[in-house]
Amino acid sequence: MNDARSSKTRERFGTVLFMFAVTFVSISAVSAIHLVTAETVRQNETLFMKRAVLEACGMDEGSSSREKVLAAYDECVVPFGEPGAETHYRIAERGSGALAGYVFVRDGAGLWGTITAVVGLDPALGSLTGVTFVKQNETPGLGARIAEDWFKKQFRGKAGPFSFVDEGTRSTSKQVFDAITGATITTRAVRDILNRTIEDAPGIVTREP
Amino acid sequence: MASGRAKKIFRNNLGAENPVFAQVLGICSTLAVTNVLKNTVVMCAGLIFVTSLSSLTISFLRKWIPTRIRMMVEVLIIACFVIIVDVVLRAYYPDISRQLGPYVGLIITNCIIMGRAEAFALTNPPFLSLVDGFTSGLGYSYVLLCIAFCRELLGAGTIWGYRVLGDWWVNWAIMIMAPGAFFMLAIFIWIVKGHILADKTAKAT
Repeated sequence: MNDARSSKTRERFGTVLFMFAVTFVSISAVSAIHLVTAETVRQNETLFMKRAVLEACGMDEGSSSREKVLAAYDECVVPFGEPGAETHYRIAERGSGALAGYVFVRDGAGLWGTITAVVGLDPALGSLTGVTFVKQNETPGLGARIAEDWFKKQFRGKAGPFSFVDEGTRSTSKQVFDAITGATITTRAVRDILNRTIEDAPGIVTREP
Repeated sequence: MASGRAKKIFRNNLGAENPVFAQVLGICSTLAVTNVLKNTVVMCAGLIFVTSLSSLTISFLRKWIPTRIRMMVEVLIIACFVIIVDVVLRAYYPDISRQLGPYVGLIITNCIIMGRAEAFALTNPPFLSLVDGFTSGLGYSYVLLCIAFCRELLGAGTIWGYRVLGDWWVNWAIMIMAPGAFFMLAIFIWIVKGHILADKTAKAT
């Protein structure tokens, strides 16, 4: 009787110990890989954000090599806003240092999740210098096409407040952009983000020192 | 002997016992990632890696895993490999990782991996389990690639992001959305099971 009970206890103890050992080994492996790659992942993320800011203010460096992106960013971009959570950037012209525009990072609700846009405006806050998206979980092939070049580039020089027309219209009006067929909700989200940014921008810029 | 069995496993996993069209496992990801070919390829590579290595590991441990907690151990090992795939993608292929988003994490819940661990790796030696995991992954992959090829072509007129159909082509938006995957998968299963495999069984009997 006693023997049976003690063997049962041993079996239970063994089970717990086994689970503990497997967990320990797996977590160690995952942690080791995480530690080895953490720095690279962090660098990738900053580089990605810096590229987006340069792209939004209309600089071609956005699509060039890592070194060029970092150099251009350091020379031209000054973040402002809450320390640690900068979502507004002041852009200086290369060489002269004159004010070339502003870049704002703004969120909006897409179809599946938050869309984070990086929006560039000229110094007068009158027209867009560029738009790009750093975070979106839209449907691949439909809403996710907001990441395509033709969609992002059409905003250059436009002024808003925006409304949209069918894809392929290639409207030249300053207040109209081409929607994405089959992704009306995403298109609406983009329209709202842009309109809000344009509306809020003067307030943000004058409030900051 | 072992190589003969390995060949048989290979044939079965790709054909008559294919995880997707015969066992109807892994359908969630079949529907979710097959609208763009590029995402499908990465998903398939991730799945092949995880099924192979998790089957191998579980087979090594099979004599020590207490029966009662075997599923916990399996999920833990599978999750561990999936996180490795996710971290490596984020560090070295940030663009692909950003495109796939949450799909990589969802490999954990792919029934094929758990299914192979339960049905095969727990009772078979490591080498055969590795072959089984790898070929199950292959069986899954080629079905997904076929479906993704058709969906991207019909839904967007492109293959691998390159335009192949001219301007005359009107995109079928439904192919990009989830219903398109149901149609394609059903057609695929119908062709394979109704014609190709049916001919074979008819000949065999």
